[in-house]
Amino acid sequence: MDSSTVKIILLTIHYLFFIYAFTVIASYIFLAVISAIESIQYIKKNSFVNYNEILASTVSPSISIIAPAYNESLNIIENVRSLLSSHYVNYDVIIVNDGSKDNSLELLIEAYDLVEVNYLINEQLKTKPLREGIFKSTNPAFEKLIVVDKENGGKADALNFGINISKSKYVACIDVDCLLLEDSLQKMIKPFLEVTDEKVIASGGVIRIANSCIIKEGKLLDVNVPKKLIEVAQILEYLRSFLLGRMAWSRLNGLLVISGAFGMFDKKIAIEVGGYDTNTVGEDMEIIVRMRGYMEEKKVKYKVAYIPDPLCWTEAPDNYKILISQRNRWTRGTIETLRKHRKIGFNPKYNLFGMLSYPYWFFFERLAPIIEVVGILYFLILIALKNVRWEYALAFFILAYLFSVMFTIIAIFSEELTFHQYKKKGTGFKLLLVTLLEPFILHPFILYAALRGNFDYYFNKKKKWGEMTRKGLSKK
Amino acid sequence: MNEFEYLIDNFKQLPVLIKIVWILSGILGVIIINLVIYLKYLRGYLRNKEKIFAKFQSEYEGELINYLYASEEEDATKLKIVKKMKTCIKDKFKRKIFLTVLSKLKNDISGEMADSIQHLYVESGLIDYSLAKLKSSKWDVKAVGIKELALFEITNVYSEISKYKDYPKQEVRNEVQLYFVNLFQFKGLDFLNDLITPISEWNQIQLLEILQKFDDQQITDISPWLKSENKSVVMFALKLAKIYNQFQVINILLELLAHENKDIRVEAIKVLSYFQANEAKQILKNNFINSSIDEQIAFFNMLEGIVETSDEDFILENVSHENFEIKTLALKLLKFINTDRFNSLSLVASDVESKAIFNYLEDN
Repeated sequence: MDSSTVKIILLTIHYLFFIYAFTVIASYIFLAVISAIESIQYIKKNSFVNYNEILASTVSPSISIIAPAYNESLNIIENVRSLLSSHYVNYDVIIVNDGSKDNSLELLIEAYDLVEVNYLINEQLKTKPLREGIFKSTNPAFEKLIVVDKENGGKADALNFGINISKSKYVACIDVDCLLLEDSLQKMIKPFLEVTDEKVIASGGVIRIANSCIIKEGKLLDVNVPKKLIEVAQILEYLRSFLLGRMAWSRLNGLLVISGAFGMFDKKIAIEVGGYDTNTVGEDMEIIVRMRGYMEEKKVKYKVAYIPDPLCWTEAPDNYKILISQRNRWTRGTIETLRKHRKIGFNPKYNLFGMLSYPYWFFFERLAPIIEVVGILYFLILIALKNVRWEYALAFFILAYLFSVMFTIIAIFSEELTFHQYKKKGTGFKLLLVTLLEPFILHPFILYAALRGNFDYYFNKKKKWGEMTRKGLSKK
Repeated sequence: MNEFEYLIDNFKQLPVLIKIVWILSGILGVIIINLVIYLKYLRGYLRNKEKIFAKFQSEYEGELINYLYASEEEDATKLKIVKKMKTCIKDKFKRKIFLTVLSKLKNDISGEMADSIQHLYVESGLIDYSLAKLKSSKWDVKAVGIKELALFEITNVYSEISKYKDYPKQEVRNEVQLYFVNLFQFKGLDFLNDLITPISEWNQIQLLEILQKFDDQQITDISPWLKSENKSVVMFALKLAKIYNQFQVINILLELLAHENKDIRVEAIKVLSYFQANEAKQILKNNFINSSIDEQIAFFNMLEGIVETSDEDFILENVSHENFEIKTLALKLLKFINTDRFNSLSLVASDVESKAIFNYLEDN
């Protein structure tokens, strides 16, 4: 290979990087514009809705909240109380104790006066068998509560068990440690009931970070911005993702993921597609992709709805070790899902789902960390070869940094103009300060976690969920 | 100054691409500075707005309480308050607060005081703003206008609001339907007679809840709605038939068993089941094999209330149904009408699923 060929190859690489970066930025701008349109539309549509009549109505559709629990004894009593405090009338709560090794079940039995009941299970989804059985409360105050104690099979298996025993038309799958606001069920069910010309197959809610918030007896009393930079940085990341990203994808009806922390499904369709996949760590994304694929194949007009109201609050990792473990899992989940459903990508049979959503996730979520690392390595090689044109490098670094800062500030704006949760004086300054630091204090770790996720996916197949230690929302 | 000139000179010598990048960075920098300044202003503005809102809200609540509790001899006080309110509502922000307070009170109280609030809504001129909203080209403004007119029970705009019952935007239609039912009770359901657009499930539930709040529960004839070409109207009428025990429409319900829409057929079975309509049994038995699973399940649920020993053969045909729910219901019914047969089948049950069902039914 002569030097001119090498030069051509290098130049091509440069242009590919440039085109990729340009497309990423262009897509972000596009999504931000779409999300602004959708936010305005959402606020307009919901500013005069009366939720009270739906709450009390006996003809409202039934909803089962399914919450898998594994070694959650620290917070389980309070978390269940929070789940039982919804204002919606027609619902029940199914806690699936997924083979916990701690005393979660004993605590639940004692706190909620549970007794074992004979329950006929229609095993439409294959799951691990029961361990101690199914329990219901003798106390009428907790009549909505069902506790299942089964052998350990993972989160997806526990959710499938919950779906099997649910008698409701809709199932809300949540993490047991999430705090749901009292009006979350009626807001999540609304898209299913208001649509007349298509079928809503699932709805997903925004997840907000509850670290440092004041929570008492399962109720959110005060919203605070945490002290640790890593936690604040995640707040900004969530704002960007939920208020700019998912909002826009919802408008385009191209949402590929609804958070496992809180999502609602049409139970019949969830069962028809085979429920949650127990062989992936990204079961929340996988089931949506599968449901979408199923609807596209059946040629039924459908929608995955998205509710931007802050309905579900959860605890985010407060140290890098747990953060990396969490993001590692998310990465593996994305890879597994995209690989499993690769026939959808660039397939016109799947319409916008195959031609836009899937390719976007593939290029800008799946490949992004790899391309970024390749770019960094290439840059390091150029430094070693003293072949960096610093006037170019510096200018592009600054441009990229300023764009990321601007994009985050737009997300903060979106939050202020819509849900305005961080009202306290000084919090705006704190959010802005962390906006400037986030590319250095959060992004490198997420990049590292994504790389580890890739590595573990290909070379460490045994790795499953990883560590997620929680302190409890009201224990601070 | 020299340093600045030096920078300018350097910039001029840069390649075009770098110049563009630096210019873009400069633009982004300026945008960021502006956004930061505006964000600070916005947060301050929102905080102040909340404070001012709360302040005026409390002031208007006080005024309204005075207005409501002013005796007939205190007409001057009332007039003074109305005059003040008239001035206030010229300001858009204050009008919004006043309307919020008034709406809250209207929702919380009833009787003479509610009438006084309604009177104040008209007297203060707020009604004119609501009527103006109806003319707006923005659908959300129109919907809010209709909502306000419904809340303050302005009945004389019925014909104006009727124009929007098939409005393209669903939210406007919802408000129109709520207006009709809130103000004209069951008579308000007349809009169903010639409704072209669908009523969402969400709004159907809301309408039913509102109807159930009225003292007079005398429902009008629902037969025409059960025969409507609008499927959502039929579905809504089926709900009405069940809630208001409309036994007289059983014949129409029987006709609906052959409706082209599956959801309507299923719902019709459920209503007939609620009425324990024996007449439906043979029709459904005859159609059973050609029915959808949902219809079959609904029929077996129906049989729970009207099963007879003569149904045994039909039930036996389905005790091994591939659908778990139907199989369970069939065995449950068999246990009810012929325990010996149930027990004998229980003894020969071999598969895990059947055993589980038998075990469960034996204990329950």
